[in-house]
Amino acid sequence: MKSGPLGLDPELLNACVSCGLCLPHCPTFRVTGLEIASPRGRIAAMNAVETGMAPLKRPFIDAMAECVQCLGCETACPSGVRFGRLMEDSRATIAHRSGLRALLSRAFGAIAYRRLLPNQHVLHLLSWVLLVAQRMRVMPKRFRSSVPRLTRHRLRRTLNVTVGGNPDVWLFTGCVMDAWLQKTHVATAAALRSTGVRIARPDSRAGCCGALAAHAGRRDIARSLAKSVVAAMPGAAPIIVNSAGCGAALKDYGHLLGDADAERFAARVFDISEWLVAQTASPLATEARTSIVIQDPCHLRNVQRTHDSVRLLLGGAFALLETNDDGMCCGAGGGYAANQPDLSTKITKRKAKALRDAGASTDVAVCSSNPGCTFALEAAGFKVVHPAELYADCIAPDRGEPRNG
Amino acid sequence: MLAPRFNTRESERARAEPLELSLYSRDAGLANGQAGAVCFPRDASDVAFAVATCKKLGVPFVARGSGTGLAGGATPLDDALVIVTTQMNRVISIDAASRTAWVEPGLLNLDLTRAAQPYGLHYAPDPSSQQACSIGGNVATNAGGPHCLSSGSTTAHVLAVEAVLPNGEVAMLGSTAPDQPGFDLRGIFVGSEGMLGIATKVLVKLVPNPPQIQTMLLDFMSIDEAAATVSAIIAAGIMPAALEMMDSRITAAVEDFVGAGYPRDAAAVLLVEVDGLSGGVDHQASLITEIGRAHGAREVRLARSESERQLLWKGRKSAFGAIARIAPDYYLHDAVVPRSKLVGVLRTIYEIADSHDLTMMNVFHAGDGNLHPLIVFDRRVIGVWERVQAAGTEILERCLAAGGVLSGEHGIGLEKRAMMAQFFSEADLELQARVADALDPHGLANPGKVLPAGFRCGEVGINRTLPEGTWI
Ligand SMILES: Cc1cc2nc3c(=O)[nH]c(=O)nc-3n(C[C@H](O)[C@H](O)[C@H](O)COP(=O)(O)OP(=O)(O)OC[C@H]3O[C@@H](n4cnc5c(N)ncnc54)[C@H](O)[C@@H]3O)c2cc1C
Ligand code: SF4
Ligand code: SF4
Repeated sequence: MKSGPLGLDPELLNACVSCGLCLPHCPTFRVTGLEIASPRGRIAAMNAVETGMAPLKRPFIDAMAECVQCLGCETACPSGVRFGRLMEDSRATIAHRSGLRALLSRAFGAIAYRRLLPNQHVLHLLSWVLLVAQRMRVMPKRFRSSVPRLTRHRLRRTLNVTVGGNPDVWLFTGCVMDAWLQKTHVATAAALRSTGVRIARPDSRAGCCGALAAHAGRRDIARSLAKSVVAAMPGAAPIIVNSAGCGAALKDYGHLLGDADAERFAARVFDISEWLVAQTASPLATEARTSIVIQDPCHLRNVQRTHDSVRLLLGGAFALLETNDDGMCCGAGGGYAANQPDLSTKITKRKAKALRDAGASTDVAVCSSNPGCTFALEAAGFKVVHPAELYADCIAPDRGEPRNG
Repeated sequence: MLAPRFNTRESERARAEPLELSLYSRDAGLANGQAGAVCFPRDASDVAFAVATCKKLGVPFVARGSGTGLAGGATPLDDALVIVTTQMNRVISIDAASRTAWVEPGLLNLDLTRAAQPYGLHYAPDPSSQQACSIGGNVATNAGGPHCLSSGSTTAHVLAVEAVLPNGEVAMLGSTAPDQPGFDLRGIFVGSEGMLGIATKVLVKLVPNPPQIQTMLLDFMSIDEAAATVSAIIAAGIMPAALEMMDSRITAAVEDFVGAGYPRDAAAVLLVEVDGLSGGVDHQASLITEIGRAHGAREVRLARSESERQLLWKGRKSAFGAIARIAPDYYLHDAVVPRSKLVGVLRTIYEIADSHDLTMMNVFHAGDGNLHPLIVFDRRVIGVWERVQAAGTEILERCLAAGGVLSGEHGIGLEKRAMMAQFFSEADLELQARVADALDPHGLANPGKVLPAGFRCGEVGINRTLPEGTWI
């Protein structure tokens, strides 16, 4: 069978038997109850466009844009439907169609993904502009949950790690993490060093992993960012990532770039918890067991599928509280909060309830390892900490690093 | 005709855009239909409005929960209005003392059990689709599940139903009283597949979680041995909480998905669960082990933790979905045969599939003889569909000849209605039709389902047969 206007692999499309078992795991279906906002409906819609039964126009395009790409459906699907591939391929076709809307969104994408995110200086400058906007209360509403509350403290550059060279392990620093979550990088560096390795961060070529571009269907941009990330971390040393979304993207470079070098690179990538659990002979064990609510970022749970390592890493030292929602998405999803503010808010509300039901409060923090989730949950009023921060605090209680701020 | 009417209400509550409509043209079965419009009521008055509008316009309507039905029950024919209950999904109240709960029809089965958890209670009927299917759909199909072996199917767990009848009126069927005087209208409504009205509220029974549960996996080198073990367990007077069987192809497919340690090389496995007080559970488990070994079980594995148990069940409950790992399409029957005939019937079923050069797989509720013989195929292969249908009919005839019934739990819907005449006498069918006619004189409530063509009076003018190419 040939593929149609979307260029999807017919075998991938055909793997869906319409059983509906993915429906309850889909955040957009959960908050709308609409088939078109469900994985099964989205696949059927792709099928309709591929077979010429529906035009490659709205509402199809809206239906694709409304997907958070959390891949809860992939984890839930007993048929092994590769939903992520289908969605990225569909979005790539949509991003490259003609017309004014597409042209504008391509222009925006080129600026945001190519010029802004990968460039630390520009991002840093913009952060100060945003800080001022927040102070003057002129922050556009749709960005409120995707940008954390910025303070001078938060924007201080405190990470002290060699740039480049020939380290034992690389610490991938990324774009937003590096700009707004330096405290997590500092903790990650401390945790890595505690295992006795020499670490380095890549130079400015590895400014952004390209995940947001790839999710938006801009594979051209994602590929060029990926190539430069690969070039910035040569050798055979493991690459440690503390952002679930970036880690998932780096692990997918083999598919994105489609060559053996990229495959080898992807095999060197580890999430920080995954790597620490594999290194540390004795997991943490302390007397005082602080309670902490675990939030699994989708890219850790559904893409990297290493979310259990967070539990293995922290279980000895913390009382881990679980949500009763099958690890449902929090609605932040990279650029999702800004692109689909209404749906995103509804999904976050649902998540917030699950977290509170599990015990999260002003005293009990939520543990998350993805910047998008962290910002959205902070905006929803939660105290959010990264597993690496918790770990670093345990092994070096007085490392003197600021925890919040 | 319908679209403008419903678009006057908020767009969130009704849609008629062609792409969206096409997504409501089928359920998880094979048959395709065509919806005229879709609406998303929030409460009984919305449902009543939709039904009354249909009555005024003479347009048929079809209730739809999660669309996991396997018999085309929620497939709209003749541009029907699809009334979707996904936005009516609240738990209205839980009465822990009397162990009952009022729920809305769109509530997912597993969400009900989750809501009952804090009280140490659960909702017993657990269809394999329980994470996704709705209580309304369960009521309409009288759904069963692995644990219905000891506790009975949905009808044993539903005390009352508030429904919008086909004339647009809201009625309460059944009550909280255990033994209500008068006709049991609730009993008629359960299993009526949306043809007697739309459930808008359901009063369900909840049951306490058992103090101890033991789940066991027995594997066999032949299907005959596994089937014989099932009959022997029941004959020994043991009533397990669940007794499920999967053949080798299914077992391998689900193992690929869950990685629960199901033996890929076994010809068949039995998943058995016993529950109750600890002494009794241990005793039953050892009896089952003995019976299994006596019938050739290669290994008997006892789940040692709750997570191991959950994983085993996740495997069993993913079976239908996991089939796409073998072929993209499946055709499924749902017949029930007497347990004593299990060995012979199973053997024949495989032979029939072989004779049509088709791949047959079996996963089923062995304890109550509820078979789910599945033929897997690829619809793109020319001529395969005809063979699938022929084999399906033969299998069913064989099951009926052995004293079985047409459907254990999935309902008749669109896909099996033509076969009803083989199982019910003309008088039986006429009686059923008269009940439907009494409540739905214009034949607008999910027409063209369950009863074979020609029995309903309201049918005139409605396209009674599946349109060309409907199936695939
Ligand atoms: C993987 C898989 C496993 C399954 N396992 C089982 C199993 O073990 N046991 C079992 O019994 N079934 C099983 N099924 C079939 C299906 O899940 C059940 O029939 C279920 O009850 C359907 O619920 P639903 O909400 O999806 O209903 P739908 O498919 O939406 O509708 C089913 C029927 O109910 C009617 N209906 C829906 N809501 C209402 C309402 N509020 N009022 C009146 N009528 C209504 C519809 O018109 C239709 O006729 C399985 C299906 C799948 C895909
Ligand atoms: S994506 Fe998977 S789980 Fe969802 S309907 Fe299709 S086959 Fe079923
Ligand atoms: S990726 Fe997430 S939002 Fe998108 S269809 Fe799958 S479950 Fe739904």
